[in-house]
Amino acid sequence: MLEVAPMLEVAGLQVAYGAIQAVRDVSLTLAQGELVTLLGANGAGKSSTLMCIAGALPAAGGSVRLEGADVTSARPEVMARKGVATVPETRDVFPDLTVDENLQLGAYTRRRDTQGVAEDRARMFEMFPLLAERSGQPAGTLSGGEQQMLVIARAMMSRPRVLLLDEPSLGLAPTIVDQIFEMIAALKRSGLTILLVEQNASKALAVADRAYVMRLGRIAAEGTAAEIAAATDLKALYLAG
Amino acid sequence: MAKNLATIAILSGLILVLVVATNLLGVRLYDRIAINLCIALVLVLGLQVFMGNSGILSFAHIGFMGIGAYTTAVLTIPMRMKGMSLPDLYPILAGVELSPYIAILIGGLVAAAVAAAVSYPLMRLSDAAAVITSFALLVVLHTILTNWSEMTNGPRTLFGLPRATDLNLAAGAAILAVVAAVAFKESRTGLLLRSTRDDEVAAGAMGAHIPRLRWQAFILSALFAGIGGALWGHFITSFSPKAFFLKETFVILGMLVIGGANTVTGAVFGTIIVTVAFESLRALESGINQAQIFTEQVVGLTEIVLALAMIAVLSLRPGGLFATQEIGPLFSRLVRKKED
Amino acid sequence: MSFFLQFTIDVLALGGAYALMALGLVIVYGILRLVNFAYGELIMVAGYSMYLTSGSGWPWLVMAAVAVLMAMLAGIATDYVAFRPVRAKSVTAVLITSFAFSTLLQNAALLFISPRPRNVPLPEIFSETVSFAGVITPARNLITIAATGVLLALFSWLMRRTVLGIAMRAAATNFTMARMLGVPANLIISSAFAISGLLAGVVAMLWIGRIGAVVPGIGLGPLLIAFIATVIGGMRSLQGAVLGGFVLAFIDTTLNFTLPQDLLKFRDAFTFSLVIAILLWRPEGLIKGPASGQRT
Repeated sequence: MLEVAPMLEVAGLQVAYGAIQAVRDVSLTLAQGELVTLLGANGAGKSSTLMCIAGALPAAGGSVRLEGADVTSARPEVMARKGVATVPETRDVFPDLTVDENLQLGAYTRRRDTQGVAEDRARMFEMFPLLAERSGQPAGTLSGGEQQMLVIARAMMSRPRVLLLDEPSLGLAPTIVDQIFEMIAALKRSGLTILLVEQNASKALAVADRAYVMRLGRIAAEGTAAEIAAATDLKALYLAG
Repeated sequence: MAKNLATIAILSGLILVLVVATNLLGVRLYDRIAINLCIALVLVLGLQVFMGNSGILSFAHIGFMGIGAYTTAVLTIPMRMKGMSLPDLYPILAGVELSPYIAILIGGLVAAAVAAAVSYPLMRLSDAAAVITSFALLVVLHTILTNWSEMTNGPRTLFGLPRATDLNLAAGAAILAVVAAVAFKESRTGLLLRSTRDDEVAAGAMGAHIPRLRWQAFILSALFAGIGGALWGHFITSFSPKAFFLKETFVILGMLVIGGANTVTGAVFGTIIVTVAFESLRALESGINQAQIFTEQVVGLTEIVLALAMIAVLSLRPGGLFATQEIGPLFSRLVRKKED
Repeated sequence: MSFFLQFTIDVLALGGAYALMALGLVIVYGILRLVNFAYGELIMVAGYSMYLTSGSGWPWLVMAAVAVLMAMLAGIATDYVAFRPVRAKSVTAVLITSFAFSTLLQNAALLFISPRPRNVPLPEIFSETVSFAGVITPARNLITIAATGVLLALFSWLMRRTVLGIAMRAAATNFTMARMLGVPANLIISSAFAISGLLAGVVAMLWIGRIGAVVPGIGLGPLLIAFIATVIGGMRSLQGAVLGGFVLAFIDTTLNFTLPQDLLKFRDAFTFSLVIAILLWRPEGLIKGPASGQRT
């Protein structure tokens, strides 16, 4: 039987900033529809890994494959066109653009499908009534939680096949964090493949299928979410990281 | 230290060879080219002192050259000629007639003083803001030179400067400029300033007072420019404010960038290469014009070639020919390799 | 009253031209954070295009359209020759290459056309005068005001109502994020240069309309004006550029009326000292541009 290529396959990835190597050797796979979380302490190289997959950072070595096709160091706009949507850690709304314009840009790759875009926009406003209320307001005036909702909604406007989510809970109030994780779970149920980078390990492991733990630029442990959650050395990995 | 001395020795030696060779040849045309080259060296090394160490592009340099040239003009034009060449001159200055050699130094000092007075607040700025202010400063200086009729005879040509710059004087000034540029680069100020070039934030955090460091370099740079301008004034003997604007800025900048702004060696080699190329192209241009191949005069060819060369060098070798290393260390490594 | 009206028309006509010049510079600066020193030469290119097509017998409007198109192409060429090869390397390098490209174009005009002024065809109406409400003014001024109005409206529509415009505004705040949404970097940059060329082309018609001839150095004046106006208005704000243009026109016109003759020749020194002062005391200009970087 022919084996189906995984949705996303990263092998031996390296990322460097000048002489400093942030990612030394990272390999991971995401099957179609899987939610995989990438855990690790601050500075372990999680975000660099994610931004490199997204095409925003060049790879210094290794490869990234999307459904078997080599996309290593592809330009970010090419990755977006191939169906990989990215929500960076820095929660990059365009502050001077209105909420509506932000969403409209999210659908840039399918801008000719005006009807579909309009439908999705209505769907997003249904899902996030707060955004609907503020659709004409500059995105910079939203609260942190609202901005996070907006960037996720904006990413979904492209109807991606893979979603790369970087620390969606960072700096948000606990109730909003709960909402965000509910939303991630809902996105997973809809069949989306998700790579979730998180520091909030317990929350992430609760929604994920599988997990990788990064330490000093390498994968230090991997397994199902349950296995990783049960592993006693989890805390040690973080503290040492 | 020995390596710095080697750099100075090699670069000065190069200038001396030029002087000796020119004297031996005894062709007046080459004499003119060699003097121009030495004056250009003073100017380009001056720009290197500021741009190379601070990493900030300055357009104002040629303006300070103009200040030097006009200062020495006012101080040295013979009394009997002043009525004609500077008819509106303030009476106090009408009786002044100094030796050109003193006046050249004063020209440099006045340029440095003007730089010291106006530039301190500008030194806080980086990137585009710094470049636009230096551009604005060039325009301000140019406007003043063009319109301050009392001191400059306005936009008209100023004539009557005694011809005092010969090859020995120009070459001497160029060698001094090499020594000063290397000495500044390796001085405490120079080292600190270079660290701000590479990482402004980190150097600031370490306690480097960035505006003051840049200011010191800028003043020294203006001193070179003023002296260079004064030397040029006593070589060419008549000029107008047009000589101190964008076209000249472009040439000086081209010399520095092609050679490599970060090194003194780059400044010297860039100046030599561009001067040689320029003179050959000029000769070609005038050859074409004399042969009357085209109905119109051929002008601008030289600048086009220089522009293309600058773009090519910056695309292929962004740091210029000598991007980081001075010739001293490079040379000693070469020697050691041979011995092995 | 009629003096007041005269003054207003002067300021609006001059300010309109200034505003368009500034806008053309800022559209590129906003996105790339890089100053295009070859901007003035786009105006020169449009001027020479008019001169070269003047014998063609085409209607004036066709010649003007061709000239604007040439300025747009020259703008895009600036990107490919001066910006793209060195953009990633250093800011200083780009400033120097764009300065070099400016010299290249100017000297190409010197070499291949002539150092002497060349006449540019202008429609009759440019040299006519109009009188109303006790004011006599060149029709050219009214044309400039109208053209500015139309162009600014068009520009504002493009930036607010089209996906390309929205993407350009987004790229001006966070280029990488815009690219991660699928906005191609090259398209945005080329569009910015093309718009810059379009504005320069229209400015060329209005500007050359004042003198009726083109010389290789014609771009320097507009470049300097664009510098001052953008510094006054804020280097990164499109509205600021427009406002800066009108403010500068107001200052210039006022100085023209009030400065004594022997100080008037120092006008450039005054306005450029003003530029330096503004950059020092209010580096962001009158209108702050879009926030750079991120908010959390």
